[in-house]
Amino acid sequence: MPILRGAVTFARYRVEFKERVDLKRALSRGLKTHAFEPLDPKSEEARAAGFAELENPELIEFSAGALYYGERALFTWRVDQIKIPGAQLKAAMDKWTQTFEREQDRKPSRGEKTAQKNELRDQLRKRAVPVTKTHDLAWNLKTGDLQIWSASRKVVDEIVGAVETAFQARVIPQVPGSIAQAAGYDDAAFKPTAELAGAEAVEAIDGAA
Amino acid sequence: MARREEARAEAAFLRGDVGVDGGSTRGEDEKDQAELERDRAREQFVRGRTWLGREFLTWLLWRSEPGDALLTHEGEGLTVLFAGRVVLRGLHGEVSELSAKGALAPYSEQVRRALDAGLLLHSARLRFTLGERLWEASLDAEFLDVRSAKLPALLTEEEDDQISERLDLADELSKLIDALVKAFLTARTSKSWGKETVPSMKRWMQGEEKASTLVDRAKRVKAKG
Repeated sequence: MPILRGAVTFARYRVEFKERVDLKRALSRGLKTHAFEPLDPKSEEARAAGFAELENPELIEFSAGALYYGERALFTWRVDQIKIPGAQLKAAMDKWTQTFEREQDRKPSRGEKTAQKNELRDQLRKRAVPVTKTHDLAWNLKTGDLQIWSASRKVVDEIVGAVETAFQARVIPQVPGSIAQAAGYDDAAFKPTAELAGAEAVEAIDGAA
Repeated sequence: MARREEARAEAAFLRGDVGVDGGSTRGEDEKDQAELERDRAREQFVRGRTWLGREFLTWLLWRSEPGDALLTHEGEGLTVLFAGRVVLRGLHGEVSELSAKGALAPYSEQVRRALDAGLLLHSARLRFTLGERLWEASLDAEFLDVRSAKLPALLTEEEDDQISERLDLADELSKLIDALVKAFLTARTSKSWGKETVPSMKRWMQGEEKASTLVDRAKRVKAKG
């Protein structure tokens, strides 16, 4: 739980609602509709992700006492993933091939190998324990600032998508472009400075436009 | 023998190793690789207006060299110092990325020369001092994400209070970054950007002018006014 201890690494965003909302009610509803659901061992899904409580990611109650810290809402994005190590699958396949050759007195066909591989993968998957990772979120309800405490850009993008869907809100990165836009600067004023980045830079932007 | 030679030449043509004239196509492949790199650099430059972030970090490097306060935040002067590794990226020339390590590397002559050649700062490690408090963080131009930050020492003892204090300090760091971006945007949209700031930055990159010269000049003008 990086918010509570450990490395301070976070992506900076601002949340804007498309229309006026009761923030606490929207928060509770959004978190519950996109709450974490554990992987079903019978299904073929290998990954599950959703919101969970910060201090105990096993819980998805989001009671006020667990969610609010002063003017902030703190919760986590939990990701459970089952990974079957390639080496483990290979070892099981080798063992099966040896037994097959001894018993049948021939090598298994490609089709038999594929069928066995799928069966072994299913067996290993059922026995495997999912790896759990959490990525914390700190949402300042007063200022609208949202910090996503994760070092993985891929996960940050996934969380941004989830927040936008769960809360019907716009999640805007805090970068010079968006800060300029929020401050009311004209877009046209921000072409690259040719003297600094070279004439190619201006051409690149003109070409992309 | 001749048939074998013919078959070998045909196989080389089918593999794409030689053209219809029998000449090697390796030169074209190398050109393609360079073009691919250039396309990738262009895409990175344009995506999310990364160039603005790069100009911001480059301006901040120039602006921070004199070591005085860049702005006042909640009644205290904010100074910024680039410390450690910097990564520069550019669109033209043979070098698309350059990395410099060392405590004084960001302000070194080598880095300034590279900036003068058209590269811009893409990521850096920065030290922010506000009054007696000190933050340190790595920033990149594309997202301005805070990475591996060091916060000022916590003063509270209770666990709940410590969480709040830690988050307050992280928030404050975020606000400092926003304040610096706003100062850059003000400079970037002013009339003096093209007439004074950029020429002064270029002279600093070329080693002809200290970064403090323009700042001092601006202060003198302000004092007179």
